[in-house]
Amino acid sequence: MKILIIEDEPDLAESIGAYLAAQDYLCEYAGTWAQAREKVELYRYDCILLDLMLPGGDGMDILETLKKQGQQDGVIIISAKGDYENKVRGLHAGADDYLSKPFHLPELAARIYSVIRRRSFANHNDVVQNELKVDLLSKTVTVNGTGVILTKKELDLLLFFIGNKNRVIAKSALAEHLSGDIADMFDNHDFVYAHVKNLKRKLSEAGYGNYLKTIYGTGYKWEG
Amino acid sequence: MGRMKKLLDRSLRPLVIYAFTVLIISIPVYFLIIDWIWENELDKHHYAIREKLEKRLTRLTLPDTAVDNMIAVLDKVQPGFSFNETTTPRPDSLYTVIRFDSFMNDREQFRCLTTDIRVHEKLYRLLIETNMEEIDETILAIAAVTIFFIMLLLAGFIYLNRKTALRIWQPFYDTLANLHSFRLERGKVIPLPASDVTEFADLNKSLDTLMQGSLASYRQQKEFTENASHELQTPLAIVKSRLDMLLQSQSLDAGQMQIVEQVYQAINRVSRINKNLLLLARIEHSQFEEKERIALDEMLAGIAAQFTDRFENNALHYAENIEPFATDANPVLTEILLTNLLVNAVRYTSAGGEVLVQLNSGVLMVSNSGTAALQAENLFRRFALASGEHAGSGLGLAIAREICDRYGWRISYHFADGMHRFSVRF
Repeated sequence: MKILIIEDEPDLAESIGAYLAAQDYLCEYAGTWAQAREKVELYRYDCILLDLMLPGGDGMDILETLKKQGQQDGVIIISAKGDYENKVRGLHAGADDYLSKPFHLPELAARIYSVIRRRSFANHNDVVQNELKVDLLSKTVTVNGTGVILTKKELDLLLFFIGNKNRVIAKSALAEHLSGDIADMFDNHDFVYAHVKNLKRKLSEAGYGNYLKTIYGTGYKWEG
Repeated sequence: MGRMKKLLDRSLRPLVIYAFTVLIISIPVYFLIIDWIWENELDKHHYAIREKLEKRLTRLTLPDTAVDNMIAVLDKVQPGFSFNETTTPRPDSLYTVIRFDSFMNDREQFRCLTTDIRVHEKLYRLLIETNMEEIDETILAIAAVTIFFIMLLLAGFIYLNRKTALRIWQPFYDTLANLHSFRLERGKVIPLPASDVTEFADLNKSLDTLMQGSLASYRQQKEFTENASHELQTPLAIVKSRLDMLLQSQSLDAGQMQIVEQVYQAINRVSRINKNLLLLARIEHSQFEEKERIALDEMLAGIAAQFTDRFENNALHYAENIEPFATDANPVLTEILLTNLLVNAVRYTSAGGEVLVQLNSGVLMVSNSGTAALQAENLFRRFALASGEHAGSGLGLAIAREICDRYGWRISYHFADGMHRFSVRF
């Protein structure tokens, strides 16, 4: 899986790259508008992370060029311009997703996972993890062929873990993912416990191994 | 057009007062002049009669008795004449008298001349009098005519003022009307009508410069907002992503994990404050112009649903009583307002407490249980309540008030029955 990271801040680009590399993604970088333009014209990527404010130009141009050429690359806009109008503009121009800075790396990884999954036609409906299978179309989960009834939030959480396999995820990243816009209004993320606990219980009751680990009570890790 | 009358009436008023004063003063002046001409003319006439009479009587070649008889006849028959024989000459006297005239059967005014004439060595005292218009009647007539002309003048003034002044000031009103449609956030200078009048051309030019200047500084501020956002969000993003990376390190122990968690919390709080400051700036700069019809009840239900986790987690008892209600506003801002009020209620209610949301006849009330009333005057100020104790950005209610101010909604706080009550009247 090839990812292009278009980001002018080297520190941030490096962090993203390092996190994704451990997820078996192959990352390439572009720090300026010209570099990004060149890479986008020469190569194809499974997913492009696009910062809008770039030295040398507006990232939106790159998105528009891609769409005009009919390229199928997934595009996630990562921007400090968090306002609503920019988001609407980006999604309207054909971006698959929009993530405002600052964001958690696990959130980004989950979004990339989701974009690539939606775009790849080989295994478009099922996600398989050991004895676990998720049918995305019907939103059903089975363990060794036995159905497990999950709530919407638990399913959401499960996919988030699968998209961040073998990575330690901070509780605040989970909270942000689960409660969307209002997450950053609160510091107390205890409600995450309840959802994780329920998910773990349901999976283990169905016979799934203990792959979901709690790290010192403040983080989680899905081993697979 | 109400505004228009004001300005034009203002210029008309001193003119009217001046014209009125001048015409009122003119009444006695007219009278004095007319009276003077009248009396002067009559006096000249009387003297002429006297001269003619004296000459003609003297030239008559008749015996003295016949002349005496003729004078006696004249005295009796000729109106306005009276002769009296006298011996001592006296100086002439000119005077005006008002008396009852039995012939006219009315009070009449006479101009009189008493003089001496000499006929054949005999001296006569002659009185000539001519009936003239009475003084009061003259004044009355002059006043009537003057007042008639005042009326004519005023009517003319008002009519001409309406007609000409309106036409002269038209460019000014055009400019004014165009200025009304000027909106800073639209980022466009309003074209002002060209005028060949120096003052109006000058006014339009100055206004144009003013608009250009305001737009430039507005643009700069907007750019500053965006730049500040970018400049702050990027380092925050780096810190956050570095923390996410740090978490992957195998060698972290429980204590270090705890520290990372605390740094996350601090970073979240900084990003929250930054986000809210930028939001406030954007609201103040009148961004979020678009309006649409919003079903508040539906929006409220959607937002409340997002809080389900929080209610459960904090063991809060949530109740709502929401009636359908719609208003015109910006959906993003309205959502922020409703969210901030709910976040506020959830954040400051201790476990086991109560949160109540009511929307009845255009009034939204968000109540939560508490122990003592808060200081209402500080509540909506920026950072007035921020403390280490709570995780708020200190801006939530300031933003809520800013949004309410913009749409003329009234936000208020009161404490009753052990509940903090925030209400918004839409």
